Amino acid sequence: MSDLDRAIAQLRACRPIPEAEVRELCHKARELLIEEGNVVTVNAPVTICGDIHGQFHDLMELFRVGGDVPDTNYLFMGDFVDRGFYSLETFLLLLCLKVRYPDRMTLIRGNHESRQITTVYGFYDECLRKYGSANVWRYCCDVFDYLALGAIVLGASNTLPSTSGQTESSANSDEVEIEVHNSDGQIISRFLRQKDVDRGRINSTPTNGNSTPVTNGATSSPSPTRTAAKNNNRTPTLTGPPGSGASSSSAGSVGNPSGAVLCVHGGLSPLIENVDKIRLLDRKQEVPHEGAMCDLLWSDPDEIDGWGLSPRGAGFLFGADIVQVFNRRNNLGLIARAHQLVMEGFKEMFDASIVTVWSAPNYCYRCGNVAALLELTEDESGMGVLARSNGEVNRSDGGMGTGGVGGGGGRPGGGGAGQRGGGLLDDDLPPRRPGPARRYRVFQAAPQDSRGMPAKKPVADYFL
Amino acid sequence: MSDLRKKWAKARISTAMHAMAPPPPLADSICEADEDRFGSGSVPNTPQDDDSSSASSMSSTGTVIPSPGRALFARPQGLPGRSLDPIPWTTYFERELLLRSPDGSITYHAYLTSPTPSSGRGNPPGPLFVTHHGAGSSGLSFAVLSAEIRKRLPSAGILSLDARGHGLTTTHHSASSTLAIHGEEATEGGNGKVEDLSLPTLAADLLAVITLTQSAMHWPTLPPILLVGHSLGGAVVTELACSLARSSTTTTNISKAPASMETTTSGPSGGTGSRDDTSTATKVDLLGYAVLDVVEGSALDALQSMHAYLATRPAGFDTLRDAVEWHVRSRTVRNAISARASVPGLLVHQGQPPPQAHEQQAGVVGDDGEEQMVEEEDGLVAESGIVNGSGTGRKGISKPWRWRTDLAETQPFWEGWFGGLSKKFLSGKGGKMLLLAGTDRLDTELTIGQMQGKYALQVFPEAGHFIHEDLPEKTAMALVDFYRRNDRSALVLPPKVSELLAQGKRV
Repeated sequence: MSDLDRAIAQLRACRPIPEAEVRELCHKARELLIEEGNVVTVNAPVTICGDIHGQFHDLMELFRVGGDVPDTNYLFMGDFVDRGFYSLETFLLLLCLKVRYPDRMTLIRGNHESRQITTVYGFYDECLRKYGSANVWRYCCDVFDYLALGAIVLGASNTLPSTSGQTESSANSDEVEIEVHNSDGQIISRFLRQKDVDRGRINSTPTNGNSTPVTNGATSSPSPTRTAAKNNNRTPTLTGPPGSGASSSSAGSVGNPSGAVLCVHGGLSPLIENVDKIRLLDRKQEVPHEGAMCDLLWSDPDEIDGWGLSPRGAGFLFGADIVQVFNRRNNLGLIARAHQLVMEGFKEMFDASIVTVWSAPNYCYRCGNVAALLELTEDESGMGVLARSNGEVNRSDGGMGTGGVGGGGGRPGGGGAGQRGGGLLDDDLPPRRPGPARRYRVFQAAPQDSRGMPAKKPVADYFL
Repeated sequence: MSDLRKKWAKARISTAMHAMAPPPPLADSICEADEDRFGSGSVPNTPQDDDSSSASSMSSTGTVIPSPGRALFARPQGLPGRSLDPIPWTTYFERELLLRSPDGSITYHAYLTSPTPSSGRGNPPGPLFVTHHGAGSSGLSFAVLSAEIRKRLPSAGILSLDARGHGLTTTHHSASSTLAIHGEEATEGGNGKVEDLSLPTLAADLLAVITLTQSAMHWPTLPPILLVGHSLGGAVVTELACSLARSSTTTTNISKAPASMETTTSGPSGGTGSRDDTSTATKVDLLGYAVLDVVEGSALDALQSMHAYLATRPAGFDTLRDAVEWHVRSRTVRNAISARASVPGLLVHQGQPPPQAHEQQAGVVGDDGEEQMVEEEDGLVAESGIVNGSGTGRKGISKPWRWRTDLAETQPFWEGWFGGLSKKFLSGKGGKMLLLAGTDRLDTELTIGQMQGKYALQVFPEAGHFIHEDLPEKTAMALVDFYRRNDRSALVLPPKVSELLAQGKRV
């Protein structure tokens, strides 16, 4: 599709495309997005990115560091626009790439993908400035309404494959849980997986004896079969696609020993006990001021117990207990989210059960932070490639594609278990799934060119 | 002085009582109220201004409680759409308070609309929005906003003070506690001595006004409080919020308030003159604080151009109407109704003979009603006060209506007001909201704080610096939402996991 490729080339050069092309692009994007569920299922390997905020040149740097599309699969967790001076080019480029490589690009919605927010924080003004009318802004906002609210990453490996230039023994590299690279691909630091078998337990309730071998199996062995079998022994009634709380055991359906990864812009909601609840939302609307959809895009994790009032004025704060119960109930190994500026680019919290990824270096061109992206590698234990689905429960059970490696396999129709999702006793919860191995690439801001920078407004003339 | 003030107040009340006896049509009541505010000069000549008669009316005024039916908050109707005539404060507030500090060094002037008290049956009291205006402004800056807040949250109260050196708050530089008989001994604005407008002083003033108001109104406890500050006031409320958070408990002991503390209230609704001997520890239940259009970084940047800006302001106006017109036309205040309510509080009439003793606080006869005041009798005369006389040679210097506060004289305090504001804003306890007229006002620290979700940010790009005057409805909506979110009595969070487990529930 040469028109699209031409548009991509033009946008990569940071030049806006004509209004008519924007209109057509947005139309196509909407047709594509409307087919996606609220929670898109994505298979590893995938590179997860946080807020971009119109920092186009930093997005180019991100592609340089993380690999170009379509060689690398990307999952952007929202907040493409506002604040930076190139929201338009940033969003349109991502959208073009989405349309061109739908299976390799995943875009989910952030709180800035909203009419109300963009009118205040820059995107609207930018469209007006660059096109002389608000039409393009309107087309883009219509696309915002169709963006998915979250994504589930399946099949991520719990070990990092040895990278070239590293001399560790393979036994050691099996244990690597976290690697941090700089923008040139050099390793800054590595963390081995902890052996603490009980770290998944969040309270003093006596734990099920089975948890020990399961955790051990997950952490020390790359063999999915073994773990899966144990999981199935333990929770034989759980079925269905991973990440749908309905359901269940991702171990049974997919060969990867680590839990699935839920990606969402903000965080959890008290109205959402399991992932299936997200799937039931009517997302095709402006981001509401309250309710589950709002919370998913606005909430933040915090060092509190339970739920708290968010100082932002929308969404909630949620503590470690909430995350860990949610993850276990939904067989998640990790929640990846964005939404909060972290000076170091990424921040893991609550015993690595949730991570914040921030991908806008030197935010607003002055905050002095670095950015990061999160790479999840593919489980290399011969599971085969899973067909991408659009997140419908019965279409997303990656297990069907795995050739029955796990004892249980994914059973279609497992969604019926959804009602039980919130009713499990703590002891009946699946054991805490270990998070996948994580490789972070940290990068700095690209040198800015000054094109398109709006003249600084004159200093306010009266400030007493 | 406060005795004198009382006398005057009684006179005012009795006038008001007469006027109110049959509920007058709205237009009349505005006229009347207008006279209340600005036409005080005429009062001494009326028969009501008699101590003996007013004493009796005084006793009865104690029982007069403003009924909700009184259209206190109604917008003046029937006025020409383009009118630039001042609107009296009585349109917006239930009463004004004169609160003498315990050491007698200052008499605070504040406008109050009381919150609905707790009904006792689990019905929490309405919140009290305590507002602090910016430098050079006055408590009336929040007049229109207060009505908009009450429209959306009828149980809310609003306490809007005049800071020292502003409005009708008077500082006594003479020996404390003796009555200042002569006008020269009471200063309003920057007369002679430069006021201490340092941030800690202003924050202490704000706290003092809150506690003195509690005593004056005989509130057994303070209602839950939201601090709202505009510009300099934003720095003041932030300072107070931080100092309340710093004290290990939020209990503020005002037991040092001596028994001699005098408070006088007056108002068209009938105030209570009271002598309150009770001095109790007052707990300030701070729900949150909202800062309107001030950010450390951009404020400090703007200070450089402040003098240039001040030089462009007219030094004086012929009439209050001219002043209102200037504010609207220069887009300093972009809402004519707000300007009509707030601008009269900024100015003072100069060139009148020294006020007579018994009305020195209240006002001077002003006869410059001229053409614009025809329908309001000789209303528009603000209070006396010796006007700061700077700005010689400037445009308008020969005109009688002058700025009450000489902003140039406050320069020594400017950096102290805003230095460290961002850090303090983020560190205080309670809900935090920042309302700005533009996102470019944010400095780096608050940009980071905002993107880390540490406070709520609202931006009204269509507003000017006086956000709450330009967009009173939107600002009120934001403040009421802010209150509702932070209202602890209504807050029900989902249970913690540990609680559920403790109850034997499934999670």
